[in-house]
Amino acid sequence: MPLCVWCNRAISQTVTLTQLLSWGQFPVQEVCEACQERLTRITGSCCPQCGRQQRAATICHDCERWHDGVVNRALFQYDAGFKAYMQQYKFQGDYALRVVVQAALAQALQRTTYDVLVPVPVDAATRQDRGFNQVTGWLTGQPFFQVLEVVADHKERPQSAKTRAERLVTPQPFSLAPNACKLLHQRRVLLLDDVYTTGRTIRHAIDQINLSGAKAVTSLTLAR
Amino acid sequence: MDNDEQFFGRWVPSSRPPLEPLANREAIEQSRGSAQCTRCGHRLTVADQLPNGALYCRQCLQLGRLTTHHKLYTIPEPNQFPMMTESPLTWSGQLKPQQVVAATAIRELVATKRNQLLWAVTGAGKTEILYPALAWALQQGWRVAWASPRVDVCLELAPRLARAFAGVPQAVLHGKQEHSYTYRQLTICTTHQLLRFQAAFDWLIVDEVDAFPLTTSPMLQRAVKQAQKPSGSHIFLTATPGPHLQKLVAQRKIAVTYVPLRYHGYLLPQMKVHLCWQWRQRLLKGQLPGQLVRQLREYQRTGQRFLLFVPHIADLPPIAAALDQAGVVGGVTVHAADAERAEKVQAMRDGRCQFLVTTTILERGVTFPNVAVVILGGDDAVFSTAALVQIAGRAGRHAAHPRGEVTCYCQSQSRTIQQARAMINHLNRQGRQQGGQ
Repeated sequence: MPLCVWCNRAISQTVTLTQLLSWGQFPVQEVCEACQERLTRITGSCCPQCGRQQRAATICHDCERWHDGVVNRALFQYDAGFKAYMQQYKFQGDYALRVVVQAALAQALQRTTYDVLVPVPVDAATRQDRGFNQVTGWLTGQPFFQVLEVVADHKERPQSAKTRAERLVTPQPFSLAPNACKLLHQRRVLLLDDVYTTGRTIRHAIDQINLSGAKAVTSLTLAR
Repeated sequence: MDNDEQFFGRWVPSSRPPLEPLANREAIEQSRGSAQCTRCGHRLTVADQLPNGALYCRQCLQLGRLTTHHKLYTIPEPNQFPMMTESPLTWSGQLKPQQVVAATAIRELVATKRNQLLWAVTGAGKTEILYPALAWALQQGWRVAWASPRVDVCLELAPRLARAFAGVPQAVLHGKQEHSYTYRQLTICTTHQLLRFQAAFDWLIVDEVDAFPLTTSPMLQRAVKQAQKPSGSHIFLTATPGPHLQKLVAQRKIAVTYVPLRYHGYLLPQMKVHLCWQWRQRLLKGQLPGQLVRQLREYQRTGQRFLLFVPHIADLPPIAAALDQAGVVGGVTVHAADAERAEKVQAMRDGRCQFLVTTTILERGVTFPNVAVVILGGDDAVFSTAALVQIAGRAGRHAAHPRGEVTCYCQSQSRTIQQARAMINHLNRQGRQQGGQ
C-alpha cells in the first residue's frame, strides 16, 4: 500500500469503475486526503490585487496602502496548515514534499495566459545550504527562465524572520540577468513565488522585470 | 572546553570541519550503489535526491536534515562526574513493602550491569521504585538517561526527578523545546533524541517500552542500542511487555523484576466480557446494547463515575447521542484532536463531570480516583493486548477505592481480549503469592 509522503500513513485508494474499465494505469495518489485537507484553497471572491481570500471583491486594506496596479493570484491561504507545510518543505528541507502542491500549481499554470515564466530566485548561499530552490521544485516540466538574480550574496536575515515594518523597507535584492532584455522584450511575464506576505518581494521583482521591457507582468504565489 | 561538551558521547552534524580534528564519519554512508543514514539507519533511494545531487535522509529529518555533504563528529564520553560520598536522593516519601522488595532487586541487578525489565502493574509506582537504584548509579558517577517514547511523560517526569534528586543537574531534551543541548549527568529525553547519542550512557532507563511508536519503530530500537555504552546496561519499564520482551524473559536473556501488586497492595481488577451481537449495526439506528445501557443507568443511580472507551473518533458522536437518548447524562466526549482535551480531563478529575466517552488516548498516564471502566467494541483492532490491559488499569487506582469494575462489550472474544485477560490473571497469581487481595 502506498504511503502518504507528508504524514507517512498508508493511503487507502478507492478505484472507480471508470478507472477499472479504462484498462490503463491507475493514477498514483501520493498525498492522503487528510493531508490535502490541511491546506485551504482560495476559492470564490478575493482581493483583485493581492489575491487574498475575502468576502468582498474590492481592494483590501493592505493593497490600498500600496496604491499600485500589481496583480497577484494565490492558490492557498497562508494559515497554520500551509505554515506547517512550508516549515517542513522549505525550512527543514524536505524536498520530497514538493509533490503536495504540484498538481494544484500545474492546473493553475495551465489556466493562466503568459509567455514567460520567471521564478523568484534564492540567493546562492541559501541554495547551497538547502540544496534546492523551493519555487522551481514545484514545477513539473513547465519551461521557465531564471532571469532574476539575487544581488547581495549574503543576506543578514531572512524575510520570514522580520517584522512587517522591517520587511517593507527592504532594499531591492534582485538584478536582471544579462540575457533578460532579449528574453522578456514585449512578452507577458508571470512571476512565481512561494508566499505573498507584505508584497514587498514581489514588487521588487516586478520593478526589475518592467525595466527589461516586458509587455505585462503578473504574479502567482502558492499562498497569500 | 565548554564547547567540547556537546560532542561527549554524541554525534554532532556539520557540513564544515571543526577547528580541532575529531573522530568523524559520513552522515550518509554510500557503498556499491546503496546509501544509508548512519544516524537512524534509514536506507535511502533515488527519490531522496536533491537537485544539487546530494542525498538526504527523510526519516530523521525532524532532528535536522542530514545530507551527503554532512559529517558527524564525536568525542568519546569521558564520564567526568565525581563519585559522591552521600546518596543524592532527596525524596522524603516512603516505599511500600512490596516496592522495597522490587527496588532492592533492581539496585542489585544494576550493580551487575545486566539488562533488565521491570514488569510492574499499572499503578505500582514504577518511578519511585527506581529511585534507590538511580541514586546508587549517580553516586558511582555514572551518566544516566531516562527516556520515554512520549513527550508528555518526559515533561511530567522532569520536575519529579528534579525534586527527588535536587543536587544532580539534569538536562531535558525533546523536539518541542527552544533552548540548546546541555551536557549533564542525568538526561531526561524522548526516545527520538537518543538517536543523537553514541555510547554515552552507563545506565539507560526506557519508560513505557510498549508504547507507540517505540514498539513499531526499528529506528528507535536501534537508537536505544546505540545510546548505551558497550559496558553499560539498560532497564525497560512497562506494565504490558509485548511478545518479543516476554520471549526474552522466558529465554532468560533479560533479568526481570515483577511488581504484581499496586502500591495500595490490591490486585488488578479482572475484565468481565459480555458478548453483544452486531452492536455497530444497531448503533446506526441509534441503539446501544441493552445490557450496557442497564449497567450505565445503574452507575448513574449509584453515583459511580465511569470511563467509556470506544474504538474510533467517528464513533463518539453517535454513541454520545444514543447515551443521551437512553437517559445517561452528565458526561462529555474526548479525543486526541480535541482542543478542550486538557480541560475535559481536568473536569473529570475534579468530579464536575460524571463520565467520559473516549478513544485510546486516555489508555495510559491518566489517573482518576474512583472510576469504573467500560469498553465498547473491545475486539476492534485498535485495542491491542497492551492497550486493553492499560485501559483496565485505569480502574481501582486509588487507595480508598482499590477495587474497580472493568467490563468489555464485544462481538466476539478476540485473541487480544483473551491475551489481556491471561496477562491480568498471570500478574494476579503472582500478586496473591505476595499477599495481595
